[in-house]
Amino acid sequence: MAKTLYAWDYAGYPGAEAYPHLFKPIQIGELTVPNRIKYAATEENLNDRNGFVTDAGTEYVRWRARGVVGGLCFMQGVYMDEKRQGQGYVGQAAAWDDKFIPGLKRLADAIHGEKAVAGFQLMDCGRVGAVDVPYGHGPSAVPQRLRVFKPMHEMSKADVKAMIQQHIDAARRGVAAGFDIVEISGIVGYLISNFISSYTNRRTDEYGGDIRGRMQAVKEIIQGVKAVLPPDIPLGIRLCAEELLDDVRGNTPEASMETYKIAAEAGIDYISVTLGWQESIYPVISRDIPMGNWIHLAKRAKAHVDVPVQMAYRLFRPDLPNEKIGAGELDIWEMCRSMIADPLMPKKVLEGREDEIRHCVACNLCLARLFRDAPMTCYINPVCAHESQPEFVDPPPADDEKEVMIVGAGPAGLECAYVAARRGHAVHVYDRRDGIGGCLNEARNAPYGDDELWTCVTYQRRMCELAGVNFHLGTEVSADLIEDEMPDSVILATGPRFATLPGESRGNIVNILDVMSGRADIGEKVVIWGNRKPGIGCALYLAGQGKRVTLVGKDRTAGFDVNPSFKWRYMIYLRQNKVTAYNDCDIEAVTDKGVMVKTYDGYRIPVECDTIIVSERGPNDALKKAVQSEGIELFVIGDALVPRNLSSAVHDGYRIGMRI
Amino acid sequence: MSFDAEKEISRLWKSLHAAQDQIGKTYYRWRQAALELAGDDVDPLDVGLRTAEVFGRDIGKSLLPRLNWLKGEEGFLLNLGRALAGLWITDGGLAAAEKGEKAGEVLIRCTRDPWPTWAKQYGVSMNEVALCRERMLQTILVDVGVFFNIPLKIEMQKAIPKGQGMWLFRLYKDKA
Repeated sequence: MAKTLYAWDYAGYPGAEAYPHLFKPIQIGELTVPNRIKYAATEENLNDRNGFVTDAGTEYVRWRARGVVGGLCFMQGVYMDEKRQGQGYVGQAAAWDDKFIPGLKRLADAIHGEKAVAGFQLMDCGRVGAVDVPYGHGPSAVPQRLRVFKPMHEMSKADVKAMIQQHIDAARRGVAAGFDIVEISGIVGYLISNFISSYTNRRTDEYGGDIRGRMQAVKEIIQGVKAVLPPDIPLGIRLCAEELLDDVRGNTPEASMETYKIAAEAGIDYISVTLGWQESIYPVISRDIPMGNWIHLAKRAKAHVDVPVQMAYRLFRPDLPNEKIGAGELDIWEMCRSMIADPLMPKKVLEGREDEIRHCVACNLCLARLFRDAPMTCYINPVCAHESQPEFVDPPPADDEKEVMIVGAGPAGLECAYVAARRGHAVHVYDRRDGIGGCLNEARNAPYGDDELWTCVTYQRRMCELAGVNFHLGTEVSADLIEDEMPDSVILATGPRFATLPGESRGNIVNILDVMSGRADIGEKVVIWGNRKPGIGCALYLAGQGKRVTLVGKDRTAGFDVNPSFKWRYMIYLRQNKVTAYNDCDIEAVTDKGVMVKTYDGYRIPVECDTIIVSERGPNDALKKAVQSEGIELFVIGDALVPRNLSSAVHDGYRIGMRI
Repeated sequence: MSFDAEKEISRLWKSLHAAQDQIGKTYYRWRQAALELAGDDVDPLDVGLRTAEVFGRDIGKSLLPRLNWLKGEEGFLLNLGRALAGLWITDGGLAAAEKGEKAGEVLIRCTRDPWPTWAKQYGVSMNEVALCRERMLQTILVDVGVFFNIPLKIEMQKAIPKGQGMWLFRLYKDKA
């Protein structure tokens, strides 16, 4: 009889009826899990630099445990060596000594406090480790492709044996801390995957050679860890179904499936399907990859092993995993980023509150931050990594209930509106447009997945409805209106002011919003002024229509405002779409034939075009004086303050909503 | 607005040449500083060769993200050869890579190279120029070879500083 930790009855919940396969139990080894939902181990850099668990890390996990409604909730992977070569993140938790057990127990207790199954992951970061020491370790000293990672030392046979023992010892500590399930991380360039891949394992001893040799260390870890785990604590492993390392002669997909079979033979209780490496040249999880793009790999895995198969990777909607679980092609729905964006995502699915989910927009800012030794944050969720701060999680009621006028129903204004309204303020949102969403109405039309950005607005609209925000759409706010209403606070969330070019009155100069909404007539040769994200989105939108597009902007590289984990995608798309970019440049003049581009150091380049699109933006201080002259409390947020991006708008809005 | 294309291009051209000229000057100024710090007992050639190794390691590392195996061995070698030829072009030389007569062989030719001229300005021997270039290219291949798990070799067959009219290097996969 398999062990059940907590009794969960999902009968009667709308989500259990809509997605019945997600909310039925599954047996993993000798443990029964009440549903098919898993928050997968995710680094968040919230622990201290020596690997000890902190309040911030504990509360982060507690919220995710609440979200899985009885399912699996994993803490981040722990590194296991005292030398810290396996530490890949400055805030990664450690488990190389018993002194870490009390902290780990706090995490297990937090997860149990939410009646979820507590998962413990073993993760030596190998090739992408050594964040605080000069050398990383691996099966072979294959040079690093990216300078950000440390040089490699080849592990001796004794080192390999020690590493295997470290996994076993750490697993024992996880059990002592109270965890219910243990997992080995063998993915994306971490140590286990380094042993498995033909790219990074060139050994000629028993830990190298063919795929069975390259799996030998993994096999010994599985068998060693299983030996110290009680029978009702299952052991799983995350393994690449496809490394996507063809360009450096990594494993073939067939070899990867062989690793699944070897792991199952060694006694693993489940397999989590992953793909890609951090060094891979192929995109895997960014917004330009369609939702559900990789789910076929779970089916392939199930054809090779009999143990339960789990998978994440662009599965942000419950219908996709529900269907695949029902069809027997997947067993457990894993989530990382979608529960960074909304820790209660599956709970809301269960409760029939899908319209209250704050969806991940697959920007990968979270990853970009981790690799730069910064604490986790989320592009779209201002509360992420602030879970231990009550003022963020549940902003307290306002001392004085105010009449608040918010000018602009874009993402900044909407975010501010519902937060302020929840705190007891009477909030009125004005916008001259007839609908909400501001510039996102146009921005969402950019290609490569930008329509997903609109999920931010649908979430905010629902939050505003629940908080009782009053809308005055189709209403242009003027100084007279402010004087008539005399609110206690005014928040200007009007969006940016678009810059002007010499010759602005000419017919061939158009605003980017008119272009992206299809209102403007566009010629065949186009110059876009402004090389940040809006300009890039517009360039790709028009290049997709066959236009010849030139991007001119003041920033030294295009996409200065796009985080590095996504920017490389845009650079490739600009190249593929033959968009010419003049960066570190400005438009000196509009000419009869087009524009005169001037480089930062004074060189001039004439560019022929029939249409000039303005995407260059500046702060918008309209109405500022009108508000100040009335002595009304004033806040300026979002692009009206400084033109940035959607994330800044949302974060500005939330924080000012907390402060009013 | 008046625009004089010839004037703009000639300004750019001069700036490019001035920037390229600084490459050689900067290198030989640093070389002089290293020699003065090292003292009289040090052979200048040893300093030059050590510098070539530092350059080679760093350039080799910078090539790793740009090379890939998807075009197979022949395509890989040709791409690598072009990257090596590009080192001269960046400095103001003329160079190209092409397939050799034998399979798995790429020839890199450089028919114009500013380095011997710069070396003369600073009184550096032509022998040092030739040996440093050879050492730098050999060192570049160390990390590239390990990374892609392919034994690579490069041989200097002709050298401008030896009065042979061109640089000619043979890049190939070693049988070992």
